[in-house]
Amino acid sequence: MAAPTVKVALGWSGLGLGVRRAALRLPGLVQVRWSRYGPEYQDPQTDKEYYRKPLAQLTEEETYERELRKTQVIKAAPATKTCSVFEDPVISKFTNMMMKGGNKILARSLMTQTLEAVKRKQFEKYHAASAEEQATIERNPYTIFHQALKNCEPVIGLVPILKGGHFYQVPVPLADRRRRFLAMKWMITECREKKPRRMLMPEKLSQELLEAFYNRGPVIKRKHDMHKMAEANRALAHYRWW
Amino acid sequence: MAAPCVSCGAAASYRLFLAGRVSFAREQGLWKAAAAGLQTGTRCQILRLKHSPAVTTKKNVAALRRESYTVDFIKKQIEEFNIGKRHLANMMGEDPETFTQEDIDRAITYLFPSGLFEKRARPIMKHPEEIFPKQRAIQWGEDGRPFHFLFYTGKQSYYSLMHEAYGKVLHVEERQDQLRAKGLFSEKPKTKDPIGSRWLIKEELEEMLVEKLSDQDYAQFIRLLERLSALPCDAAEEEFVGRFRRTVTVQSKKHLIEPLQYDEQGMAFSTGRGNAPWRRGKRKTANAEAVVHGHGSGKIEINGVDYLLYFPVTQDREQLMFPFHFLDRLGKHDVTCTVSGGGRSSQAGAIRLAVARALCSFITEDEVEWMRQAGLLTTDPRVRERKKPGQEGARRKFTWKKR
Repeated sequence: MAAPTVKVALGWSGLGLGVRRAALRLPGLVQVRWSRYGPEYQDPQTDKEYYRKPLAQLTEEETYERELRKTQVIKAAPATKTCSVFEDPVISKFTNMMMKGGNKILARSLMTQTLEAVKRKQFEKYHAASAEEQATIERNPYTIFHQALKNCEPVIGLVPILKGGHFYQVPVPLADRRRRFLAMKWMITECREKKPRRMLMPEKLSQELLEAFYNRGPVIKRKHDMHKMAEANRALAHYRWW
Repeated sequence: MAAPCVSCGAAASYRLFLAGRVSFAREQGLWKAAAAGLQTGTRCQILRLKHSPAVTTKKNVAALRRESYTVDFIKKQIEEFNIGKRHLANMMGEDPETFTQEDIDRAITYLFPSGLFEKRARPIMKHPEEIFPKQRAIQWGEDGRPFHFLFYTGKQSYYSLMHEAYGKVLHVEERQDQLRAKGLFSEKPKTKDPIGSRWLIKEELEEMLVEKLSDQDYAQFIRLLERLSALPCDAAEEEFVGRFRRTVTVQSKKHLIEPLQYDEQGMAFSTGRGNAPWRRGKRKTANAEAVVHGHGSGKIEINGVDYLLYFPVTQDREQLMFPFHFLDRLGKHDVTCTVSGGGRSSQAGAIRLAVARALCSFITEDEVEWMRQAGLLTTDPRVRERKKPGQEGARRKFTWKKR
């Protein structure tokens, strides 16, 4: 019973079981960002397989987790989430970042056109290549997309820190989500700004994705520039206090 | 153990203050500490606090001192409450002996209808114990000597409680040692249901002890209770621990599932319609009512139009499909629904909710719980935030100009 006891010990300090903790109220301070959901609401779990798993196969921790979720209030699933196998959280996030002015329809169609363009290009290469090369050519646009973004992720970043009246660019390790965000942001900025006038976004984006997949291209160069700057400023690393 | 919760001091005056609290100037340090504390705080809300200028007023000495009520005053209030309860029962034509608090609430809402939005500002009639805050009697005698031996710790009830709990732990361990010495000790693992009860929270403990506690005190207390509950206890110790546990409600029980209805051909169907508001689907300003038929081929008709024509956007159609796909019943049901209000995405969300609720009649209780945990049965409370005066939109401020 060690695991549940530990969980319970952790549970009370955080969001308690079925208990509404009053939001932090401090005198002289006004809460600026709030949510329509109270703090006790948990995020929904839309994965079908999670529920279909037979009870006999669950570990003790998972059984405890299940029991706990039965007592919690759950938020409504957002309009972009389904239990479909075709849904990809990375693609959804990228689509949202490409979106302008709330035009999700346009962003999503651009995304599908991009993936189609990637697939077409790879198939052309496949049909034009010899038998040995055909084995090395990747045709699944989703794997290309994921791999390209992974290749673009920087490992270390720079943060301006104020010391002695001057701002110094200090190298700092980045969290996973920050890295993913930077990779996507660089990719989108690159495609928006550095393309010839009449070239459409899907075409340019597919081109950049393929180049990033093979570790060449401007986005990879930008990542390397960031790494070089961090290497150059490594003397300032001790300015970081966290 | 806890000090009797009675008002103190014969010399204290009991002025009732309806005005708001006076705020003082706070140091910068408090704000920084609070902001730092919030960085590590709850993960589901992003709190960004801004410092509002503190209001300094003339120090109102009388307002500073907390209102305190004498024993006689509280007793008089209780007598008046009981007499008033009987009068109220007479007025409503009910039996004064069996007049409960719910009856009082109903009678007050009937006799004093209030249009105020804030529920706490409406007229109430409750027992004085609930209205007047609990206070402590004077803790020392005529000679100035305190009654409780732990008075000078500052938190006598808390420390005496800790003392008692630790005493019990030692007692149980002593008993275990004796059994082990005799050789009668058996290592029985303790079985306790993981969820079903929880420790009481800090606010509840403070209310119980009528004392302010810090987070570390509370943590220490819970650790001690956990230690005690992990040992083999007998009935008295179990009862002691049980005093600090509260039951936890299981959320799925709150849902009411309508039974299936059958139409002329004998086919089962279920509606997301009805008088109770939670049977329909709602999202922002869109309202939907759906009728799901038991035997069908996956046809969905919305306001007399096929779903492919009504929702040309893929995302909306995916939302309609979501409840069926989740339950692996994609081509097995027919849906006829009506929807009004909102935009295309909110109409899709409203229909999704109505369909999910209607499907509850066709499936097992476990599957209903799965749907609830997937977020299909919750009404989305997010609505459009109003525009505020002095700002351009709900959040956007006007362009800041230096001069």
